[in-house]
Amino acid sequence: MNNSSTGSSSKSKAGSSSQPSETSFKRKRGLFQKDLQHMMYGFGDDPNPLPETVALVEDIVVEYVTDMAHKAQEIGSKRGKLSVEDFLFLIRKDPPKLNRCTELLSMQEELKQARKAFEVDEEKLASTE
Amino acid sequence: MSRYESFRRPALQKTNMKKLLVSTGSQKIYSPMTIVVCGIAKMFVGELVETARFVMKERKESGPTRPCHSREAYRRLKLEGKVPKRSVTKALSVDGTQAHIW
Repeated sequence: MNNSSTGSSSKSKAGSSSQPSETSFKRKRGLFQKDLQHMMYGFGDDPNPLPETVALVEDIVVEYVTDMAHKAQEIGSKRGKLSVEDFLFLIRKDPPKLNRCTELLSMQEELKQARKAFEVDEEKLASTE
Repeated sequence: MSRYESFRRPALQKTNMKKLLVSTGSQKIYSPMTIVVCGIAKMFVGELVETARFVMKERKESGPTRPCHSREAYRRLKLEGKVPKRSVTKALSVDGTQAHIW
């Protein structure tokens, strides 16, 4: 029995990936609720947003991410596997998002380099002792 | 200041996002991908809330955002083309070809 995404929620393990329909899948309601409330305040809403609004925004976001993932999958299937470039291609027409993503990716690289340098330093210390 | 904090600090949880991505049927989800999708989703929430507040201003209403404002905001974002439309695999056209809309 498939529930509509805006209908009643069913609490089941999100690991159950054997859902035939792509429009609905079993997930816990309130997956992002706590974070969403703070986020909505940060973006201009009331300090205490209405729970119905938070639920609706969560549904919209889940639908958005799912659609993006499917589209990226379609693009990536031509190459064989899904990659970050597929998502970047999808948002190419949206400069703010594109810039934010490139910024996130470059920050990730920097953090990786920093961690690597940190490990190398530790090894040097260990060898000199 | 607290609003700025609320703008910078929250992020959609990577673990939950990963579960969501996996449930869409993709085989392998790498962690950079999850981070990118979380960033995109957060910005999308921002666009939604901003547009909803704009709608409220137009209608001269105040207070917390109501679902009707969010729905109107979502409709406007769709018109602007910021929301991916589903490819019409379920609704085939008359001659049986599939139409992809973007």
